[in-house]
Amino acid sequence: MIWRLDTILLLFLVATSLIVVRSKDLLAASLIFGAYSLIMCIVWQQLSAPDIALTEAAVGAGVTTVLFIVTISKTTRKEEE
Amino acid sequence: MKRALVFFSLLLCFGIMLIAVVNMPPMGDPKSMMMTGPPGRAPIPRYLSEGRQEAGAENIITDIILNYRGYDTNGEVTVIFTALMAVLAVLNRERKNVSYCDIETSPVKRSVVVYTIVRIMLPFILLFSLYVILFGEVGPGGGFQGGTIIAAAAIIFILIFGYSQGMERFPTTWRMNFEGIAPLTFIAMGIIGLFLGRNYLTFMFPGFSHASNLLLARSMLMIIEIGIGAGGAFIFTSIFFAMQREDKS
Repeated sequence: MIWRLDTILLLFLVATSLIVVRSKDLLAASLIFGAYSLIMCIVWQQLSAPDIALTEAAVGAGVTTVLFIVTISKTTRKEEE
Repeated sequence: MKRALVFFSLLLCFGIMLIAVVNMPPMGDPKSMMMTGPPGRAPIPRYLSEGRQEAGAENIITDIILNYRGYDTNGEVTVIFTALMAVLAVLNRERKNVSYCDIETSPVKRSVVVYTIVRIMLPFILLFSLYVILFGEVGPGGGFQGGTIIAAAAIIFILIFGYSQGMERFPTTWRMNFEGIAPLTFIAMGIIGLFLGRNYLTFMFPGFSHASNLLLARSMLMIIEIGIGAGGAFIFTSIFFAMQREDKS
C-alpha cells in the first residue's frame, strides 16, 4: 500500500467533509459531497475492496448526487439562517 | 448552554468512535479472531478453503455476500424496496407529462456537446453495466452495482432527452410490475433450497453429483444477480421519477 497517497486521500476526505458541513450553498455542498464519494471510492480501492469501490462510485458519486440536485431544484439553493 | 451541550455530546461520540477504531483488528492481521478463532470455526480460513465447494461461486466475495451472509443481503435488498415505498408514500407517483425539471420547459438550454456525448456513450454505459452484473460471479462486481449503473444511464437519458421521452421509454405501469423483483427472486431462489432438502438460501444440495450441483448453484447465483440488478435499476429509476413530480401551487 502506498501510504503517502493514502495520507493525501484521507486529508482530502476530512477537508471535503468539513466543506460539505460548513457550506451555505447547498448545490456546492452536494457537488463536493460527490467529490467526497469519489475520493472514498479510491480509498476503498486502496483497501483492496473493488466491490465496495464500484458501489461507492455508482451510488455515492452518481445517483445520490443527482437525487440531491433534483431536491435542490424543487426547493431552495441557499441554506437559511 | 445549548452550544456547550452540543459540543460535549459530539465530543462523547467522537471519543466512543475513537475507542472503537483503536480496538479494531489491524487489516490483514493473521492473529485476529476471524483468522484463528476456535478450531474449525474460524470464518476466514473456511471461506478461503471451502467457499468454492460450499457456495458455488468463483469469487469468494460473492460466496460470502450471497451465501454465507445471504440473510444480510436478503434484508438489504428488502431495505431498498422499502426505501422506494417510503419515497412513494411521501411523494406519490409521478403524473403523466408533468415535470418540474424537464429539459423542454427548463430555462437552461440543452447543450449540444452534452447531448451528443450522452447519445454516443449510452450504449457503452449499458454494456458496462451488463458486464458488471454478469461478472459478479468471477470477479469484483455484482447485481446491485450493475443495477445502479443501469439506473444512472436511465436518469441521464431522462435528463438529456426530456421527461416526456423518458416516460415513453419507461412507462409507469410497466415499471410498477418489476419494482419488487429483487427481493422476490432472492426469496424464490432461497425457497428452492428448502424444497431440495437443505436450508433456506443454500445452493449446494444433497443427492446431486458435484458437477451438476455446481452448475445448478452457479445458475441460481446468476439469476439472483440479474434479479438484484433489474430490481435496483427499476427502484432507482422510479425514485427519480417520483421526485420529478410537480405540485400545482
